[in-house]
Amino acid sequence: MSPKRLIADGRFVVPAVLTIVTVVYLIEAIRIGPPMKGGNMTPAFFPIAIAIVTLIALACAMVQAIRGMATQAESEDRPRGGISAKALAVTLITAAYLAAFDVAGYFVATFFYVLLLSVIFGGRRGWPFKLLAAVVITALGFGLFELVFQVRLPTLWSQ
Amino acid sequence: MDILHAMLHGFAVLAQPETLLYMVGGFLIGTFFGAVPGLTSVLAIALLLPLTYSLDVSSALVACASIFMAGMCSGSITATTINIPGAPASMMTAIEGYPMQQRGEGAKALGHAALGSMIGGSIGALLLMVVAPLAADAALLIRTPGKFALIAFALIVIIISQRGSVTKGTIATLFGVMIATIGIDVMQPLARFTFGTSALVQGIDMMPLIIGTFAISELLVQADSRDRRTVDPSQMKAAKVRRRDFIPPLSEVREIGLYRYLKSAVIGYAVGILPGAGGSMAAFVSYAEAMRSSKHPERFGKGNPEGIAAAECANNSMCGGAFVPMLTFGIPGDPTTAIVLGVMIINGLQPGPQFMNTQLELVAPMFASLFVSALILIPLTLYLLGPYFLKIVSIRRDVLYSSIAVIALVGSYVATYSVFQMALALVFGVLAYFLRKQKYPTVCLLLGFVLGPSLEEYCRRALSINDGNPSIFFTSPDSLFFLALTVVFFYFMVIRKPKDNSLGTPPAS
Repeated sequence: MSPKRLIADGRFVVPAVLTIVTVVYLIEAIRIGPPMKGGNMTPAFFPIAIAIVTLIALACAMVQAIRGMATQAESEDRPRGGISAKALAVTLITAAYLAAFDVAGYFVATFFYVLLLSVIFGGRRGWPFKLLAAVVITALGFGLFELVFQVRLPTLWSQ
Repeated sequence: MDILHAMLHGFAVLAQPETLLYMVGGFLIGTFFGAVPGLTSVLAIALLLPLTYSLDVSSALVACASIFMAGMCSGSITATTINIPGAPASMMTAIEGYPMQQRGEGAKALGHAALGSMIGGSIGALLLMVVAPLAADAALLIRTPGKFALIAFALIVIIISQRGSVTKGTIATLFGVMIATIGIDVMQPLARFTFGTSALVQGIDMMPLIIGTFAISELLVQADSRDRRTVDPSQMKAAKVRRRDFIPPLSEVREIGLYRYLKSAVIGYAVGILPGAGGSMAAFVSYAEAMRSSKHPERFGKGNPEGIAAAECANNSMCGGAFVPMLTFGIPGDPTTAIVLGVMIINGLQPGPQFMNTQLELVAPMFASLFVSALILIPLTLYLLGPYFLKIVSIRRDVLYSSIAVIALVGSYVATYSVFQMALALVFGVLAYFLRKQKYPTVCLLLGFVLGPSLEEYCRRALSINDGNPSIFFTSPDSLFFLALTVVFFYFMVIRKPKDNSLGTPPAS
């Protein structure tokens, strides 16, 4: 089993990343204090126990993944494990939206967010419709939250 | 008598125009989300969750119940007409419904599905009204060690019901528990796992986890699709249905028989009570039982209304059963009831043994909504909107998913008026996306998160009662009962796996 193939396969990578997260969690749990004090469980006991059981389960998952890859013929297509280009684009656009939400306000941020999402989900054709849809969805969202449910949303003029 | 009075009061509250509007609105939203492939009623309720901050709790619960019921039955629309189940619970319906559609009997198949859903949903709601208060009385007898054993039982059953992926179910559940430990300790005023961030001291709110797990991850999954519409318009042309054909012939209803409907409803209700089982399991078990006990098993798989009736009756009856453990023990068994629990917690309610005695009047409208949705709205919606269903569910994906994204993210903002909650929703969404891609059940993540704090609290309380000696879990009768029940379930669901060769293995929830 080549290490290159191992790190390119989501079956192994996902439990491996979760293992790193769990180890960090376990270290933090140990730092809380001793798991038992005066015969009673402390706030550290349960997280330590959970982290240890999780690590055992993750080890099983990684072993299963390695066995699964080993039994798979080299010629077979690798299962897709990573994030697709479009999903990555949605993630980045959403992160940018969150960054702009407080700064640019609901209207500006949401309009551009909806417009970019509609390009990802519907392609680059039909711009007039996309622009109209972005305006309508932004306005309806504002109407729903601010007017119907009385949620105060950030706006450019309220900064 | 008090219970009867509270239930009648629930119907009276439901009859108020505003509450009625929430029920009908919720039902239409649930029908849409249940019918569109890729969307589920769970997503609909998740999107509703932030709005419940501004709603009266009874109205919010009424809307949740009608979305739940509608989502369960509307999956049969695309399952029958284009062989794509709108919801996982409609997979068995597709087996019988689509062959009927190919014979030109699609409308009749939808009629049978609606009739089964109507009967099953109504019986499930009635059983809920009768059983929930009794179960609450029984729940009062369970003491702290028993409560720990009960939650452990629920979590283990949820994990082992994820067929073929027990390891992945375990990992997802434990990750949910780990996320729940962030913030103030359940018994001492000590902040844990904050990593120096003051925003984490209060812990992780349920809202970003739900929005991230069910809405944001769905956006990321759907981004991979190249279709421009949710349902291909070319498929719609081949699936025209007429309103008058929706009424199933009495001769076929008689052939299915009242006993089949009742039996399927009871099976669905019982499966609903089990943690983690869900509508797809209810439909599978009921369908398998109908095939086993049918006078004409050879007709199954070729467009048999009896199979549709059994599956739809059971998955809608499951809705009533699923509420029992959530309301009486505070243990949600599926994502929908977990989100409904979130609605209650947002409004300062904590379901549990005492809850049904003290707050029955608050949840009685929800029971009434389940019943009325099943008895009246299911057949009425099919009759009025049936011919237009496929046009309604075939919409532009760019408009649909950008709308969902805005509602989900701005909804996350509502809880604390902070972009931090939105960022958490995105983080959990990306995590859930990777978990889903590798077939880790994200339902387990949510249920682990919901049940984790109670598991820790009861474990520590029980041990402190017995000076740290864990033997209390084996000497306390209620704890012993649930531990034995866990062993029994583990034996029958893992060691002796239920399998029907003709159907394959039961679907995971």
